[in-house]
Amino acid sequence: MRPENYQAINHPPSHEYELNFGPNHPGIEGNYALKVKLQGDQVVEAHADGGYLHRGFKKLMEGRLWIQNIALVPRICVPDPVPMEMAYSLAVEELGGLEVPIRAQWIRVMQLELSRIAAHLFTFGGHAATTGMYTTMYWGVADRDLFLDLFEELTGGRVYHIYNIPGGVRRDIPDGYLDRVTSTLDYLESRLPDYDNLFFTNQVFVKRATGTGTMTQQQALEWGVTGPNLRATGLKLDVRRDDPYLVYDEIDFDIATEEAGDAWARTLVRRKELQQSIRIVRQVIERLPSIGGPIRCPIPNPLAWNVPAGEAYARIDSSKGEVAYYVVSTGGDKPYRVHVRGPSSMHAVQVLENLVTGGRLEDVAQIMFSLDACPPEVDR
Amino acid sequence: MSQELTRMLDTLTKDIAGAKVTLKRARRMRIDVDADALPALLELLQGRGSYVHLSAISCVDWIDDNQFELVYHVWSYESNSLVSAHTRIPRDPGVYLSIYDLYKPAAFFERDIHEMFGLYFEGSPSMEKFILTEWEGPPPMRKDFDAEAWVRDTFTERDYNPEWLKELTDAGGGIAIRPQDIRK
Repeated sequence: MRPENYQAINHPPSHEYELNFGPNHPGIEGNYALKVKLQGDQVVEAHADGGYLHRGFKKLMEGRLWIQNIALVPRICVPDPVPMEMAYSLAVEELGGLEVPIRAQWIRVMQLELSRIAAHLFTFGGHAATTGMYTTMYWGVADRDLFLDLFEELTGGRVYHIYNIPGGVRRDIPDGYLDRVTSTLDYLESRLPDYDNLFFTNQVFVKRATGTGTMTQQQALEWGVTGPNLRATGLKLDVRRDDPYLVYDEIDFDIATEEAGDAWARTLVRRKELQQSIRIVRQVIERLPSIGGPIRCPIPNPLAWNVPAGEAYARIDSSKGEVAYYVVSTGGDKPYRVHVRGPSSMHAVQVLENLVTGGRLEDVAQIMFSLDACPPEVDR
Repeated sequence: MSQELTRMLDTLTKDIAGAKVTLKRARRMRIDVDADALPALLELLQGRGSYVHLSAISCVDWIDDNQFELVYHVWSYESNSLVSAHTRIPRDPGVYLSIYDLYKPAAFFERDIHEMFGLYFEGSPSMEKFILTEWEGPPPMRKDFDAEAWVRDTFTERDYNPEWLKELTDAGGGIAIRPQDIRK
């Protein structure tokens, strides 16, 4: 917001004061702002303020070919870009009636779970930093880098992969790639006890996070909470299980849950999900060599591809929650309308405002990070 | 499974005039309904059909028909299925009812649609700007707003070719294709 457009909240003389978290603040994730009104150190009112990362993707996508949009969508969520490519591809495949080859589906599952691991490592670091533990942040970012190396080898890109296209994936896995994935997973598994000692069982974290930003099951359902945040209230709900896509119905994994519904539970759910993701990727590594066949189905000339008229709604469970794409085609070479539903549009606005209000100033940043909100998903 | 669900939805919506249930694929149902009956339909879906999770509200601008299409995607955690309730309202004056009383997440989606399409929702908790705080032009997601034309009219193009770059270009480096060359 430009300074001349700033309007202070008018309130009668009192002990209340206003504080801006963000858009550039270490206690906020990305360029996003939270205006809080405080009485002493107690938050009495909170207003989320977005738009700092608005790039108008939905409008841009209406002016580009179906295949060109693949380069746009990963930018909607920077830390966890793969679900964005995937949900868009799934929607276009449904419209175009494409059958994705089975090998490509397994590669996609591997990529999705690697992306989840990388995103969770990033979040742990952020959350730990809000409780004053910077070492976890350095470790998390350094270990995430090993997964970015894997992405770089597979797709050519470290952050934005542009690897999934409607119909399959762009390239097959390189020679010896699965061995390198295995060794990275082994390394991460060997690191988990260190992470536990440093962060998850650290009394600073446990005492700060227990009982902070608590929501009940009923509140979570009412506010449209999804993903790990919902599972932290004890509900075993996961799009991968309830609305299976790709080959998730053939994969053996547990849905990680916690009961407490507070910041501690939300982070613990992510910690457990890390192990489940490792388990899923190991199953892919075991199965993939025996699955032959192509990595994508033939699609029409992508520069003159008229996707049949219709509409599709594709849902995916990302590391943040439910990602959904509503795509409408009128039979042209460009989408007529694409609507992106990011989980953070719930978590970073309504849920955050509700959880922060009534709490204390020092917990604001922690609650924000424990919800794992992704501001570019809100703004799009 | 999906056939049973369709039958259940048919029974549920029998009192709602003009409601048409279609099965699109496994776990995806579509219901077309008149604009004045949509809140009643959602109330039924939520209360008796266990569709408690509002996944999204999408708006589509059908400018040729002079209509907005609103799509309410609701998910049931019990029957694991998604119902997309479609309704159309006239583009002008573009006013509709909020469903905030039924689904709390509607607050964000309605505010977003108001900002991007200019559609007003009566009864929504906040219709203030959220993302486009600095924007004073027409709602940008409407089909009659041409973003490229706006950029052309608002900004000027500048040929960026300073001295040091000329030296590089003459030596065969720098920017190989300049914008004016593309247009020729």
